[in-house]
Amino acid sequence: MMEKKICIWSGVFFLIMVLSLAGFSTVSAKEKNEILIGTHLSLSGGLAMAASEQAWAYEQATASINKKGGIFVKELGKKLPVKLIVVDDESDPGKAAAAVEKLIKLQKVDLILSGHSTPLTIPSMVTSEKYKKYYHGTTCLIPVWAGQKFKWSTMFFIDMPTFPDAAYNVIKSLPEKVTRPAMLMEDTMDGRGLGGVLRGGAEAFGYKLAVDEPWAVGAKDYSSQILKLKANRVDALLVFGSPEDTVTFIRQMKESDFSVKYLHGYKGTWTAEFKDAMGKEAQYVMCDGFWSETYPYPGAKELGAQYTKEFKKQSVSIGAFYATAQILYQAIERAGSLDSAKVRDAVIGGEFKGTVMGDVKYGPDGSAGFQVGTFQWWDGKQQQVYPFLDGSWQTKVMPPWNKR
Amino acid sequence: MKRKTRIGLLILVTALFAAVPLILDSENSYYVYFLFMAFTYIALSQSWNLVAGYTGQISLGLHAFFGLGAYVIAIGWGKEIIGFLDPLGMVLSGLIPAILAVAIGIPLLSKLRGDYFALGTLGLGEILRLIFIQGGALTGGSAGLMLPSSSYTSMLPYYFIALFLAVFATAVTYLMVKSSLGWALISVRDDETAAAANGVNVLKYKVLAFTVGAFMAGLCGSLQAYYLFHVHPQNFFGLNWTLYPILMCVMGGVGSTIGPVIGAVFLSAVFELAKILLPEIHPIFSGVLIVLTIIFLPDGLVRLRWFRNIFEGRKTESPINLKLFTGKEK
Repeated sequence: MMEKKICIWSGVFFLIMVLSLAGFSTVSAKEKNEILIGTHLSLSGGLAMAASEQAWAYEQATASINKKGGIFVKELGKKLPVKLIVVDDESDPGKAAAAVEKLIKLQKVDLILSGHSTPLTIPSMVTSEKYKKYYHGTTCLIPVWAGQKFKWSTMFFIDMPTFPDAAYNVIKSLPEKVTRPAMLMEDTMDGRGLGGVLRGGAEAFGYKLAVDEPWAVGAKDYSSQILKLKANRVDALLVFGSPEDTVTFIRQMKESDFSVKYLHGYKGTWTAEFKDAMGKEAQYVMCDGFWSETYPYPGAKELGAQYTKEFKKQSVSIGAFYATAQILYQAIERAGSLDSAKVRDAVIGGEFKGTVMGDVKYGPDGSAGFQVGTFQWWDGKQQQVYPFLDGSWQTKVMPPWNKR
Repeated sequence: MKRKTRIGLLILVTALFAAVPLILDSENSYYVYFLFMAFTYIALSQSWNLVAGYTGQISLGLHAFFGLGAYVIAIGWGKEIIGFLDPLGMVLSGLIPAILAVAIGIPLLSKLRGDYFALGTLGLGEILRLIFIQGGALTGGSAGLMLPSSSYTSMLPYYFIALFLAVFATAVTYLMVKSSLGWALISVRDDETAAAANGVNVLKYKVLAFTVGAFMAGLCGSLQAYYLFHVHPQNFFGLNWTLYPILMCVMGGVGSTIGPVIGAVFLSAVFELAKILLPEIHPIFSGVLIVLTIIFLPDGLVRLRWFRNIFEGRKTESPINLKLFTGKEK
């Protein structure tokens, strides 16, 4: 009896599967009445925390354009609303490629909005290349992206030549002098790429790194690194790592009574979850960020306020993702078409005005850079420090752990 | 079902799958991609099935051989020794993991058994992942190696190679099991001491199965490398390339030639459907399904009466000790 039921349910399951897949496959046969924008985001896995902000920003940008009636597509002679389709890439490069495959073949999307981080976007862009589907990219290091010579993607991300400025200019502005900075970079594609730029920047700013080491993802014991930092009398530290690793590292710094005047975290210290995990110890810690609601750009303040109202926390990333979607939607209107080649050509070399990241200009290679920001955690908020603007926060020197 | 009828049925099913690209547009149909992945999983599941299902050695190191096979292609292509979808390159990507399997298998299989062997093989995957991360320019370090994606022209070659790998792995498993070699493997699985007492060279057969499994896993890795054009240590040495095939074998039926085929197709479909219909909670759905399978179907779908009548013709149960999954001795 039990076996019979299992057989029946298995049959029902397969029937549902076939019908579902068939249903999705016929989407394109209908008359075009909406623009399908696909994106692969890490709804699960290690990057889920960061990608949730990206998903929210894309949804807001889409809702905003739909509120205005959608995008006018000249070729079709009408305004069409945008439908955002999100597929989970599970924070896995292989699954990210599979997700793009699904977006193109199953969901029949017109264009693709970027996923999150270099390791996930690169294989996804490779898949886009295969099917000649335009991939509107962000969060992939521009030199890594440029090295691939992709034809069907563009990139809007951190401007690498000015990347070190956000750390060393702030260090220079401290009321106390820093002489022995050090760097610990996660041994990943992003860590190595950004580490190389920060290394070069140290020399340009007249610093010699007292310690410069990669660290393994997921390591639980940082005592050897901390001993080395102590032995080299390091007084400022730049750390690139995941939130989990960075939280563990800073806790071990405190347990070892190792203090620095300046602690700048990349990737690991910017989420509100970092502040929640660290509690009072988050105070004085610096973080990177793509954007600030205090930036003097149209819609920035409102976007930040909306996020804070909804989630009771701040974000230093949503603006970049919101602007990425804004640019794509402007490009569609400019191209007057949903054709991948035409939209891509509208982005390359194009200038997009009035985004929440300001005016964005793409170069002839299809890349556009923005200045990364620096923030300091203070009373549970990320205070905007760099770029130095009117009203920017004056960075406070980190006191020793035992004097807090 | 008679042996000839079973073989005839398998040939018919293979022919039907071979005809799929004639019916569907291979470049635009997601079915074709879905089947491509399902075939790859069939080959990987058969690889694990041979080692664990028929020889009784629960290996958790399939991803080590899979990743190594992928890197053979990536490095070879980068050095212009291997070309795009190069048959000789693919054979090489199977042979190198097979050689590693012999080198690692002899000490591991002679000294470790059961859970300890499983943990030893798990360590192998982690060691290889770290070696390739630290491999400098040769392996591309943590960034991995990019391959020229402009080589891609059509989905068809991938589809047919994956189909070939699935049929090849199933045929190799079937032929091995039905030969005298199979009796030796099964005797090792059922009772090592009795097998040794009857003159079976236990270590030799264990290493042989481990090596053939590694060869097949390496071939699958090479195909994925050609498909993704980006060989990355976190992806290709990811534990999922071991865990999914194990789940597929358990779902379909361990120690049965048809079990991994059914398990791979069924679970691939479940995962895909869950992602489509329940995008935000699909890991929970898939996890619950796996737990229910282990509780209610520890012997696999293939040992349900309906399947048994078609494929086995007699009542059987899972031949291997599933203690690792269920916590219970058989």
